[in-house]
Amino acid sequence: MALDYDAELMLRVKDGDGASFAVLLEKHRSSVIHFVYRMVQNQAVAEELAQEVFLRVYRSRSTYEPTAKFTTWLFRIATHLALNSLRDGKNQKYEERLDHQSDDLPARQVADVRPSVEQSMVYEARLDEVRRAVASLPEKQRAAVLMHKYEELEYSQIAKVLNCSESAVKSLLFRAYETLRARLAYMA
Amino acid sequence: MNCPLETRENAALLVAHAAGELAPDDAVRLERHIAECSACNQFLQRQQALWDALDVWEPVPISADFDRRLYARIEELERQASWWQRLAGPLRPVLLRQAMPIGATAVVLFAAGMLLDRGRVPAVGPQQAHVEMLQPEQVEHALDDMETIRQFDRAMRSENSDSKM
Repeated sequence: MALDYDAELMLRVKDGDGASFAVLLEKHRSSVIHFVYRMVQNQAVAEELAQEVFLRVYRSRSTYEPTAKFTTWLFRIATHLALNSLRDGKNQKYEERLDHQSDDLPARQVADVRPSVEQSMVYEARLDEVRRAVASLPEKQRAAVLMHKYEELEYSQIAKVLNCSESAVKSLLFRAYETLRARLAYMA
Repeated sequence: MNCPLETRENAALLVAHAAGELAPDDAVRLERHIAECSACNQFLQRQQALWDALDVWEPVPISADFDRRLYARIEELERQASWWQRLAGPLRPVLLRQAMPIGATAVVLFAAGMLLDRGRVPAVGPQQAHVEMLQPEQVEHALDDMETIRQFDRAMRSENSDSKM
């Protein structure tokens, strides 16, 4: 099996190359944070969990073996931590409401040109509905949708992350999208 | 081509097509079917609309100090590891070499202790407390003696305090 570039970098980290870890962090920081954020829907918890993901990657460097794609391994850790957090209800203690952005974050840029108040309100309403619809999915379906739609992982990777077969992933995704289509039909 | 909507497994083809994941040949074959199948056509349109709707959820900005916090945690991890290495380092070769014999000896001693303990008969007789019967007069005499000592003690204290004055 040919090694993917990330796995090569990780092997260098294993050999004590800190710069390779920095490259991996730079490359995957956003996707891990965004994935975890969409899972738990809480910015502070998402960043905390993402830190834990990279800390685990670093801590496991000495035992790392490139048996799968690096991103599969990375998202397996991220999914595991996010699901545990959801089950523990850790994200609840911050009580960040779905329709509120954290105050300590810069405002989201909707577009290059400044949107009107009405446009902003429509955008926020649509975003809120999408977030609620995704949050209503069962955990595994949610993870599958987020990895498929936003992180563009292959079915085989999602299957390995969720520890199930590829056909099970297709079935999970089909059911999840079916629910989302019904819920967000009015947005079409 | 059979209608993909006949089975869930094949319906996933339409989802994959909406996501632009199909190989060009498969995409062309599916497009041909969709052109003739209103159910698939409708499904695909709804799936594409959902795909666009989900695009509304853009990535959130990341805290500027994310890396700094992470590297601080890594540094802490390294510090703890080096502290442990410093402590256990000199002992490690000894521990590694002696771990098996020490472990085996501990197991043998524990097993032997258990066997010996099981075979032991609880001691009776000689270890029982020795109880001596006293007559009531003896008790009375003892109490009288104690009272005499107490009075003597009190008298001595008052005499001492008088001489100080």
